[in-house]
Amino acid sequence: MSVYAGPAEAVVGDGTTGRSRAASRWRRWRLPLGILGLLCLVALLAALPQPVTSTVPLAPDNPLPAGARAAAQILGEQGVDVHYVRRITDVERLAGPGTTVLLVGDQLIDTEHTDVLRETGADLVLVNASWAVSELTESLGYGNGSGGVETRTAECDDPDAVAAGTITASGSVLAFGSDAVVCFPAPGTSSSTGGAYAVTNVDDQRVAVLADTEPLTNERLADEGNAALVLRTLGRHEVLVWYIPSADDQDPLESGGPGITDVVPPLVSLIGLQLLLVAAAAALWRGRRLGRIVTEQMPVVVRAGETTRGRGRLYRRSGSFGHAAAALRAGATARSCARLGLPRSAPPQVVIDALARASGRSPGQIEALLYGPPPTDDHGLAQLARDLDHLESEVHRS
Amino acid sequence: MAITWRAVALTAAGIVAVVLFPATGTVLLWAVLVVVVVALDAVLAASPRQVAVSREVPSSIRMSQTARSTLTLTNLGRRRLRALVRDAWPPSSGADENRHQVLVPRGEGRRVSTVLAPTRRGDAHADRVTIRTVGPLGVAGRQASLTVPGRLRVLPEFASRKHLPSRLARLRELDGRAAVQVRGPGTEFDSLREYVIGDDVRSIDWRATARRADVVVRTWRPERDRRVLIVLDTSRTSAVRVQDAPRIDASIEAALLLAALATRAGDRVELIVYDRTVRGRVAGQSGPRVMPAFADVLSLAEPQLIEADWPGVVAQVRQRLSQRALVVLLSALDPAAVEHGLLGVVNQLTERHQVVLASVADPEVDDLRTGRQDAAAMFDAAAAERVGLERAAVAARLRQRGVEVLDALPDDLAPQLADRYLALKAAGRL
Repeated sequence: MSVYAGPAEAVVGDGTTGRSRAASRWRRWRLPLGILGLLCLVALLAALPQPVTSTVPLAPDNPLPAGARAAAQILGEQGVDVHYVRRITDVERLAGPGTTVLLVGDQLIDTEHTDVLRETGADLVLVNASWAVSELTESLGYGNGSGGVETRTAECDDPDAVAAGTITASGSVLAFGSDAVVCFPAPGTSSSTGGAYAVTNVDDQRVAVLADTEPLTNERLADEGNAALVLRTLGRHEVLVWYIPSADDQDPLESGGPGITDVVPPLVSLIGLQLLLVAAAAALWRGRRLGRIVTEQMPVVVRAGETTRGRGRLYRRSGSFGHAAAALRAGATARSCARLGLPRSAPPQVVIDALARASGRSPGQIEALLYGPPPTDDHGLAQLARDLDHLESEVHRS
Repeated sequence: MAITWRAVALTAAGIVAVVLFPATGTVLLWAVLVVVVVALDAVLAASPRQVAVSREVPSSIRMSQTARSTLTLTNLGRRRLRALVRDAWPPSSGADENRHQVLVPRGEGRRVSTVLAPTRRGDAHADRVTIRTVGPLGVAGRQASLTVPGRLRVLPEFASRKHLPSRLARLRELDGRAAVQVRGPGTEFDSLREYVIGDDVRSIDWRATARRADVVVRTWRPERDRRVLIVLDTSRTSAVRVQDAPRIDASIEAALLLAALATRAGDRVELIVYDRTVRGRVAGQSGPRVMPAFADVLSLAEPQLIEADWPGVVAQVRQRLSQRALVVLLSALDPAAVEHGLLGVVNQLTERHQVVLASVADPEVDDLRTGRQDAAAMFDAAAAERVGLERAAVAARLRQRGVEVLDALPDDLAPQLADRYLALKAAGRL
């Protein structure tokens, strides 16, 4: 190959420098990048740890009047390790002999959960859990609750109750056995008809029952001796598992089965990751275009037959058999006349006579064909068109 | 910045590494390795902006021909240039093989050429030249698109020139004939020559015979130096597609054949491309310069979706022509368009000039007219019949006003127009 010096009109470069390219790239990408950054920020905020407060009733992180943060914080300050859990598996993991488990509400649990609670060997405090009480101990049960929240006195010899003196509560827990202690009966009644607080032992497991959630709430904790009863009951051990069952609380027996990640060997997922990278590289390779797409203005082109077809469709839609037949007749007549040398303006009688002579048909036939009544349906029109074609071919043959 | 298949292969080779050392770290490490290799190769690639690019392309070609767009690449950088070069042209230019692999040592130059087989009339402007250089490893490179101007004018095909030899032969027959065959006011006296057996005795010039010893006859030749003005209508009716091409293409073919024939016949041919304004014009050219000028102007004629301004056409014709001439209107015999436009003003043309209206007929209408398959076809046939009658009626009205009307299929229009011109010339009606 020969060597060429660059011709005078040669183009060198595209008029950009590294700096200008970087600037234009920045201009082009700053908006998408800004949006992406904003999205990342939003995602980051969304992914931050749950806010330290919640609105779950009686949750240890709920500062609302119906929450129980006050009790939890006081317990924490007194050296009790408060674990707030929503799943029975966590209870199973954290609880054991020498710990306290607080169960708040029993609408979302069944016997498998109570079995777990029993097997932990921890001291139980059951709040607002009539079904769980009957499951866990035979010596206690809920009675017919008495009216509203009222101030009650201990009237028993449980040290916690005695220390508290009076509490504000409602509800009643009945004792069926002699080993149970029932405290805080409704005013004017005795403990045998049920009280707001009861304690019993089931196989070395201390079970305390609080019929009502009121003493635990932030709103009522400072009233009367509520705080003393609650703190003494929950603060018996260094570890308190604060269990509020949740709707997605898994069945303890069914969890723990092998997941898909446990079955697949780790090499496969690693190769999958690498293949993902290969796909990304291939996308970059094929996606980079060699120069921009060249566009071209297309010429204006309209189909010629469209107007004629449109007209035919118009005839058909409006059922203009008369118009259509007239057009067919006029066309056939014009061609036949041209063939026979008649002028376009020849009168009908002349045309009829000439065509009759040329085709050998009777003038009456020709007249009926060319000037007769128009057809009224598709079939008549088709018949007319065929007849006209025949006439024309006869004229042209002559 | 661009990567090649090798970069992909390098990434894929990471699978082996992952199999040997199955850990997430291996994948990450391999990804970093690939990125480093790609970046290094891109940095070491020659800069596509240190290449001098110039283009050579013919200024014009006919539509059925091919041209070459040749790029000269000179490496001005310090590195050896390994690159893929794309010479981009619009799709209708037919530049199918427009990617070229080049290897240009430092300070040298190379040529690459792209074959252009255009399929559309008009100006094709070259798009950018894209250079993608590749680094020493062939893994990645750099890319730049340069604006290297280039224009290729694609002239009309002039397929109708195959009809030219036969028409020229006819023209020669007209030329120098004895008066017996051509007689009338349209031919002019050419010369005297000796009588040969077979000449018409009526053409004997007795006065000349008396002066000389021989019998002398007069010979005649067709008029020369007549003026022919071709008006190409680019209004909406010219955009209509007949068979596979717009109507204007057939009109252009007819205009070219007529121009070629009339120029050989010694007439002066002019062209106006008009719809509502003058889109192009050829005037004052003669001899060999006529056809290139025609092709040049006609190559840029494109249909516009607007109504023709026929009074404007008349004004243009009056402005251009002071003496009697042949005015050829390359338009459409569209009943509605003619009735509202041409019919009103055509008298002003015919009173001074010989006017020919050449229109492209649509074979599809004929097909529709003979269709008898079903009820819909019957109505279509009736509509086609009506269209045909209307065209015939409007043609008759134009003929009454002295216009020669020519309605022919696209392929027949050019030869028929040439024949009509020859007939008019022979009859001396120019």
